[in-house]
Amino acid sequence: MSTFSARVKSVINDNDLQIALSKATTKLSSGREASIASLENADLIRDMARRAKLNILHNLDENLLKFEHRLIDNGVNVHWAEKGTDACEVVIKIAQKRGIKKVAKSKSMVSEEIHLNEALIKAGLQVIETDLGEYIVQLADDRPSHIIAPIMHMTRHRVGEIMHRHLNVPYTDDIKELARYAREKLRSEFLSAEIGITGANFGVVETGTICIVTNEGNARMVTTLPKIHIVIMSLEKLVPTLADLDLMLKILARSATGQKLTSYTTLIHGPKVDEENVGPEEVHVILLDNGRTGIFGSEQAEILGCIRCGACLNICPVYKNIGGHAYGDVYPGPIGSVLTPGLKGLLEWKDLPYASSLCGACKDVCPVRLDIPQMLLSLRKNAIKEKIPFGLKIGMKGFGIITAYPGLYKFIRNIGSLFLRLIGRDGWIKRFPANWLIPTDLLNGWTKVRDFKVPARKSFQDMWIEREKSYE
Amino acid sequence: MNSPGFTDSKSKIISCIKKFRSAGSVILPNAKPDLAEKIEYPSLNEEELLSGFIEELKALEVDSYVEYSPENVRERLRSLIHGKSILSWEPQSLPYDLGTILEKENVIYGRDEITVQTKAEIGLTGCDAAIAETGSLVLVQKKGQPKTASLLPFVHVAVVKKSEIYFSMGEFFVKDGKEAAGSPCVNIITGPSRTADIEQTLTIGVHGPGKVIVVIGP
Repeated sequence: MSTFSARVKSVINDNDLQIALSKATTKLSSGREASIASLENADLIRDMARRAKLNILHNLDENLLKFEHRLIDNGVNVHWAEKGTDACEVVIKIAQKRGIKKVAKSKSMVSEEIHLNEALIKAGLQVIETDLGEYIVQLADDRPSHIIAPIMHMTRHRVGEIMHRHLNVPYTDDIKELARYAREKLRSEFLSAEIGITGANFGVVETGTICIVTNEGNARMVTTLPKIHIVIMSLEKLVPTLADLDLMLKILARSATGQKLTSYTTLIHGPKVDEENVGPEEVHVILLDNGRTGIFGSEQAEILGCIRCGACLNICPVYKNIGGHAYGDVYPGPIGSVLTPGLKGLLEWKDLPYASSLCGACKDVCPVRLDIPQMLLSLRKNAIKEKIPFGLKIGMKGFGIITAYPGLYKFIRNIGSLFLRLIGRDGWIKRFPANWLIPTDLLNGWTKVRDFKVPARKSFQDMWIEREKSYE
Repeated sequence: MNSPGFTDSKSKIISCIKKFRSAGSVILPNAKPDLAEKIEYPSLNEEELLSGFIEELKALEVDSYVEYSPENVRERLRSLIHGKSILSWEPQSLPYDLGTILEKENVIYGRDEITVQTKAEIGLTGCDAAIAETGSLVLVQKKGQPKTASLLPFVHVAVVKKSEIYFSMGEFFVKDGKEAAGSPCVNIITGPSRTADIEQTLTIGVHGPGKVIVVIGP
């Protein structure tokens, strides 16, 4: 897999992407700000929502068992999956046992995480994504780049081209027309699919409610028309009561898009009960771990309180410049920088905790006040602990010795300052000299990406001493 | 249907969480201890709730009509649905004797073939509760109340009784949550189907109704 910096390089000069990103993140952020500002008791509601999430996590095992119990009472089939592949296998078995060939999905981050589509296709099933953005992603064989806005990275011209090429419809960049194409094409898919797959935004322990929110109505379609509904739900999605669900719903859409509520909030309790009604005959819930228990036992356990609104992406100065794909995995932005190393291993993903200026904007906007900067810091600490680069080890040791002796520190500082002033031009160092003594890459790693200001003639320490003297 | 592998997953997951908890190694902050137990909602009378509800509907671009007698509700409905193919709740589930105006119309019900239902132009439903704070309609799936009526047609007409308007969803959950939790599916509908997936530009009517009309009766 490519490195983080290689991925960043490939997106940072993509003009279309930069325009799309800046437009979308600004719009979503200002929507969020206005919407939260107009919510009465917003601070209290956020505190209460945070408490509800933390209460669930503190007793996660008991809550999971209670929730399972409720689901079974409601007539729901419950499956547990330790790994993503286990969850895929459950879905495949349900389909194969009934000779089912076609599956319709509504948007679900967790299904992306476990690569469900690839597994189902490999097992001979046809899978249709039905969220407009995810549908385009599937047609173009691309990847979603934002938790709630999967094709944030595409312009409408690109969407028009994709639809034209794959759906055999006339090219247009009229957004209304593009949405109409999707409505028509997907309506017949909804009617012919025999399994509907969704994620879950929340699971209510008290009542065994599965709560799914969408704006388009595709989750309603896939939980209404196919005869089987399968929910893939990761362990941490629980909330204690319906009153707590109300808190979550108050802040989720506001933080995500600035809406008070999404168009559709669907509460599922089980299969249809009377013959006259339309609805699934079977409902299955797959409770998925896939690395979450590992996070539960780590210093980043708090991240399991995330409700996936995406507000931290839209406000993050790093995300705003590099977009979702540069993060390299399913969950981008500040939340992804904590989640991905937690789910997939810090060693391989140790770059992500550094993809942050630690400005704290993510913590400010997080509806459940997750301390993301603190978690990023603790991940950085662990990344270093796992393997300290040799150069850094020597450098830090040397720095320790130098700073322990003021005379030595002053001497080295003066030499350094003189050297920098000598190689500077017009007050700036644009590149370091390289010759037989200094290898090119040793110092130019810095000047490759930014210029360096020449140090002042007089050091701060010298100025301080002079100032003290002038008072005497 | 559970193969041994999956019950195994359950015990692995639960015992792993238990292990971390009993070792005292779970590092989770505590929430602020001195928080209020619940949020206090303003107590509004029926008229105030109604005007708040209508204001929210307007913001969602939902058309609303307030009628002051059952006859007027029926008259309004007739003018909205006459001559169209209508996918409707069963007459006995609709308020204000609306069944009487359906007799002369082309009506499809939830018990009809799904391929027939999907051809309807207008969906007609009652409503189990309305939420003033967000302009939402709460539709509980039960006998005579198919959820397809508020989903498949491009236009959804919902009839709301003024007395069914709550201030917030939280209030509805407190009063009727237990009953709602007994239904296989509850839909809370807030405006028309929409997407902003392409260039974050709002577009109406992707999969669900592109137009929602609310008729509020006495």
